[in-house]
Amino acid sequence: MLIDSFFTSLLATLASPWGVTLAVLGTLLGIVLGALPGVSSTMALAILLPLSFGMTPELAILFLLCVFVASVYGGSISAILINIPGTPGAIVTQLDGHPLARQGRAKEALVYALVASSVGGVIGLVLLVLIAPLLASVAMQFRSPEFTAIAVFGLVLLAYASPGSTVRGLLVGAIGLLCGMVGFDALTDVSRFTFDSRSLQGGIELVPLCVGLFGLAEVLRHLHALRQRRPDVDMATLHSPAPKFGALAKRWASMLRGSFIGALVGAIPAAGSAIAVAIAYAQEMRFSRRPERFGQGAIEGVVAPEAANSSSIGGTLIPMMTLGVPGDAITAVLMGSLLIHGLRPGPLLFAENPGFVGSLYAGFLLALLLTLALGLVLMRWLPWILRIPNHMLLIGIALLCVVGAYAIRNNMADVYIMLFFGAVGYVLYLLSLPTAPLAFGLILGPLLEENLRRSLLLGRGSWDVFLHSPIAMGLFGLSLVAIVLPLLAPLWVRLGEDIKRARTP
Amino acid sequence: MTLRRLLLTSTLGLSLSAGAFAADFPDRALTLVVPWPAGGAYDLAARLMAEHANDYLGAPLVVQNVTGAAGSTGVRQVAEADADGYTLGMMGTHAIAQSYMNPNATPLEALDPLVFIGPEPAALAVASDTGITDIAAYLQALQETPGSIINGNDSPGGFSYIAASMLESQFDVSLTKIPYQGYSPTVSALLSGEVMSALLPIPLLADQHAAGQLTLLGVAADARHPFAPEVPTFKEQGYDFVAEDFFMLYLPNGVSDERREALASMFYSLLEDDAFQAAASEVGLVIAPRPQQATATYLSQRADEVYTLLEAAHLVDASLAR
Repeated sequence: MLIDSFFTSLLATLASPWGVTLAVLGTLLGIVLGALPGVSSTMALAILLPLSFGMTPELAILFLLCVFVASVYGGSISAILINIPGTPGAIVTQLDGHPLARQGRAKEALVYALVASSVGGVIGLVLLVLIAPLLASVAMQFRSPEFTAIAVFGLVLLAYASPGSTVRGLLVGAIGLLCGMVGFDALTDVSRFTFDSRSLQGGIELVPLCVGLFGLAEVLRHLHALRQRRPDVDMATLHSPAPKFGALAKRWASMLRGSFIGALVGAIPAAGSAIAVAIAYAQEMRFSRRPERFGQGAIEGVVAPEAANSSSIGGTLIPMMTLGVPGDAITAVLMGSLLIHGLRPGPLLFAENPGFVGSLYAGFLLALLLTLALGLVLMRWLPWILRIPNHMLLIGIALLCVVGAYAIRNNMADVYIMLFFGAVGYVLYLLSLPTAPLAFGLILGPLLEENLRRSLLLGRGSWDVFLHSPIAMGLFGLSLVAIVLPLLAPLWVRLGEDIKRARTP
Repeated sequence: MTLRRLLLTSTLGLSLSAGAFAADFPDRALTLVVPWPAGGAYDLAARLMAEHANDYLGAPLVVQNVTGAAGSTGVRQVAEADADGYTLGMMGTHAIAQSYMNPNATPLEALDPLVFIGPEPAALAVASDTGITDIAAYLQALQETPGSIINGNDSPGGFSYIAASMLESQFDVSLTKIPYQGYSPTVSALLSGEVMSALLPIPLLADQHAAGQLTLLGVAADARHPFAPEVPTFKEQGYDFVAEDFFMLYLPNGVSDERREALASMFYSLLEDDAFQAAASEVGLVIAPRPQQATATYLSQRADEVYTLLEAAHLVDASLAR
């Protein structure tokens, strides 16, 4: 039944010129908006939401899904080319993507990102179609104590995911945690660290922070380099050919690992793609035989997070489709669009309107295919983007930073916050400290604090709530292993050598 | 019904004559500030109005989501906007609560109520594994062991927190109130069984009730809700309990009488539009517009009610105490 309606609506869309036009338009808009620093996937959808009101529900969801899927890939374009994540989900992609671009392997990195995105997206879709109810019931096992544990686990992995020394990563991450406490306290609405200023009461949003920290700071770094007359790497002259199919296929393991992590983490309401990419990147580093290459341009460092990023789309749709609860801000916009069309996603949608479910899945697949196709086509114009004179590019980026920071909540306070974090990012660069942990601290801090305090409220002050949760204990155990193992490993090696030496007289 | 029609035609007649004076208003797009993010009930109501606005306003209506600080950033933006009638806002219980809890929030006196859009009634839902099937059992459990029911709600000041407090004071019971950031996480917590009950707007719960994932015990409104027509109200079950959020349009203080009246009548007739009402009921919104004077009265009644509850919970900021 579902398969039937899936194929009929896929064919119907492909046969209708209007449907194809809309899908192509949505994909193009998605790639461009996603690539613009300061326009996140959420904002791209919110901007285009009113356009979808006039369409039929099937076309509306097709259009929005195309925008959503394409913007996730678009975010990695600016991460790789100019070291600024276009969307928060691409924060990790730049860690290895931009070093690749600086080595003249921009095209290679983009193709890897695109293919990994598509593979991840398809795996996310397949999991959504096949085992959505199962994944949803796993996700429903995540209550406050489990969220606390996943935030702790994320923080521990953050230490791995940050390039350079672990201590430095943790230091910057701690600043991020502190930034997450600014504004209204999540549980009591008491304002904290606002210095009685109204502009800080709204707290520090992720997007203005990222735009400042990665976007504006990057502009400042280039200005710094201009003053010192240090030649920038001319990326336009160094062109590597796109990787061959065989080379792509060799990365299947990274892609699969990234995809499964993305789908599972995405399915947990409120966890979101930013946590999925951090976990995917960190575990990729753990699996790697040469973790020291990470941060210098490791292909796995681009492939795994991009796969996770895209497969988390399928994941985030799971709570929406099965429970009627949007998992994050992006699915909330999607759900709003469906509601306007009189369709209520939730437990009854499958029973009452299986045809629509089929066409949603078909639209999702179409969006993935179109993103892959258009992404490859657009890559022909890549040299043009790279040939934009640096000073013009920088002015454009600075402008987008301001507009993007304002537009997220239509609030000047966010622009000031963005400027502040631009300066912070520049100072961190001067001190050679990593910047990504700051953003992860901001994401994980409120999640950790809110859920830890709520767990204790639910346990009426007792920490036993954690002991009663196998998932939480498992995650705590993993975190402990992740901390202790690197400390023990040298001892282990030395012990092995000692034994060897003792044996050989 | 006839009386209502009569009143309506007379208001419309009055408004037409008032409109003649203000024929050049509005001559450009109006901005409607929504204090919550895109996709929620407030946003949907605003966007549906924007869809139908051109016919009644003669100008486009642009929805702007200004979020943050429990809705008070958006309210402040309207209160501080030019009082030329081109900026208006949408608010509900949150603005009342913030005005008493947060010294930095906009006081209600700085807002000029324009049109009441409709109530958003709540329903009491319990997780299916609690085994509770009616209100009597729910209350009995609370009377036997106060605090034995864990209720999911907003942080203090949000509507679902206020609704839970109203239930406590009405029936003289006490819940264990656990705060969540918004309605969606609360519904998740109810479905996952982390909390046992919640008072939330009905459209968020109706399908899950029909699918047996949770049980709706009663609707806290005067009438049943079209999304869950088989769920009786509290009143039908013998309990006089009403807990509703609301949507209302307001202007900053200082808009000229002429423009305010023009806007009030334009929006009133927009809300009475059949196509708009049909679209709104698909989304689960209850549209019951009230003219400007009745809107102001409603707001001050609700403000008194919310103030009493907040005061009892020691949540009123010392500098804002009456």
